[in-house]
Amino acid sequence: MQKIITNHLKIVVLTLTLLSLFSCSKEDIGDLSDTLFVRHKGADMPAYIYGNGADKIFLIILHGGPGGVGLNYRGGTIKSEIEKTCAVVYFDQRGSGMSQGSYSENGISVDIMAEDVLALVKVIKHKYGSDSRFFLMGHSWGGTLGTATLLKDQDTFKGWIEVDGAHDPKGMYFEYIANFKRVASEQIDAENNVNYWNGVNNLVNNVNTTLYSEKDFFRMNREAFEAEEKLDDDGVTNREDDDSSIFFNYNFLTALWSRSRTLSILTNQGLWENVSYTNRLSEITIPSLVLWGRYDMVVPPKFGQDAFDNLGSSVKKLVFFEKSGHGPMYSEGDQFADEVIEFITMNK
Amino acid sequence: MKITQRFSNTLNATIQNNTGLLALMDQSLIKPYMRKVILYFICFISFQNYAQLTPENEQVQNTSSFLEKTEFKVGYFGNILWNQGLNVGAEYLWKEKIKIKERRRGQKTITNQFLLNGSLGFTFNPSTETDTGIFTHYGLIWRRTNTKGKQFSVTLNPLGYYRSILPETYEVKNGEVDKVFLPGRSYYAPSMSIGFGKFRKDKKLSGRYFNINFMLRTPYNAGTSPSISLEYGYRFNFKKKKRDAKNNN
Repeated sequence: MQKIITNHLKIVVLTLTLLSLFSCSKEDIGDLSDTLFVRHKGADMPAYIYGNGADKIFLIILHGGPGGVGLNYRGGTIKSEIEKTCAVVYFDQRGSGMSQGSYSENGISVDIMAEDVLALVKVIKHKYGSDSRFFLMGHSWGGTLGTATLLKDQDTFKGWIEVDGAHDPKGMYFEYIANFKRVASEQIDAENNVNYWNGVNNLVNNVNTTLYSEKDFFRMNREAFEAEEKLDDDGVTNREDDDSSIFFNYNFLTALWSRSRTLSILTNQGLWENVSYTNRLSEITIPSLVLWGRYDMVVPPKFGQDAFDNLGSSVKKLVFFEKSGHGPMYSEGDQFADEVIEFITMNK
Repeated sequence: MKITQRFSNTLNATIQNNTGLLALMDQSLIKPYMRKVILYFICFISFQNYAQLTPENEQVQNTSSFLEKTEFKVGYFGNILWNQGLNVGAEYLWKEKIKIKERRRGQKTITNQFLLNGSLGFTFNPSTETDTGIFTHYGLIWRRTNTKGKQFSVTLNPLGYYRSILPETYEVKNGEVDKVFLPGRSYYAPSMSIGFGKFRKDKKLSGRYFNINFMLRTPYNAGTSPSISLEYGYRFNFKKKKRDAKNNN
């Protein structure tokens, strides 16, 4: 008899364990940890939503690249501070990260990708309620995409945060040359890595200074990352403290392959040669926060000033991070979080 | 961030130099490439079949039942870091050629086999919900087994299907949002693999294998997505034990 009871007890315990495993729900919107996909125009794009959703305030982060990954930004004070204030939506854009789907080369463009962002907003409203409020943040290439999104529909958003953003991809080629010369001269005067900065001067003296050249553009883009490492080495900027642990979240080969394809298609469409939104920034009138690393070599600080000067918002603020390059969220994380949280709190 | 930057540097270099990697990215170039591989493989099979007709080396296995000619396999399928999974399948002996050579040290036996392959697998990334899928592959295996039972094999699976399984998914169409029922996407997914193994004669658990598998998924985004996986598993069979096994050899 005891044996029978023991056997039954085992079955009951096993059943209850399985039930409890499968019945775990994430209904507590106060502490979101959701992954959902947005299907739009042939693409399935993951949105990873973490943080405090109690007030239904969502900060959508548009990653760099093109072809970066959304969860790259889930680290530092974005995770430890900003997620306490609002829910942060890390979004893998079309043709990036773990996004998948089936579409032709014409299925990737800035225009369609901007529509994807608006589709994401619709999905979040559908899932969490139509009273949800949104802030949009774009970093690097995300600055191009965010600007394009707002020019389509800015009424959906409570505010725009541009972080070292490329709202003027076309202008980057010639500004690279000017910025490299300026920083090289400054660093040579300070006797920092003189040989390296002389090499940078040689590089920019040998690129085409009258016409855009794709080859030279990518040479200078590569050099910009290298230059930021030299500035880190010399203590001009703070080293980026990137603790986002995404290694196991993204299949390296899949993400790399998608990225190369997307970057190639957008480049062939003339992204770096023809696209500029500087003249249309005045159409953006929602509250805006412009955050830039003073030593950003990838999207030089001139564009931060341009954004601030041209945005049509009556509520706008420009902050230069004096010890940062292209990633102030990691090199001056505390100040970065303070600025973002203050902006969201004031404009929600 | 730095990973992305390194990605960027590598890829920018790729795009600038317009290297073979970029060429491989182009779906239109992959198709002719695959056609060539398939053509070479068919030629190779034809040659092997022709060679089999030479009477002095020929030993045709005439065992009739399906189970006598079939081995089953089960094994790990994944890349250890991002994807883990399981693959089960069957291999049906189609052609076999056994070469026996007399050497001073004794007989040397080399067995070349062609097997029809079918498999069904499942893969997922335990860190996320974004990379789950099931797949099935059908094709041909060429396998060489030496006297010691060491095996080398090449598998070509021109028929393949991959179905991704997505978590909660919402479709936005004409401004309307709808939840998708059983979300996922289907891809044509041919594959090929190269592997090593060990044969265990007259055992139910007849061998183990280690393969490196290369699978394509197409159309994936605006092109084709490659993936590399490792396979490690065991083969087993349901053959009846033969009393006169010695006579067969």
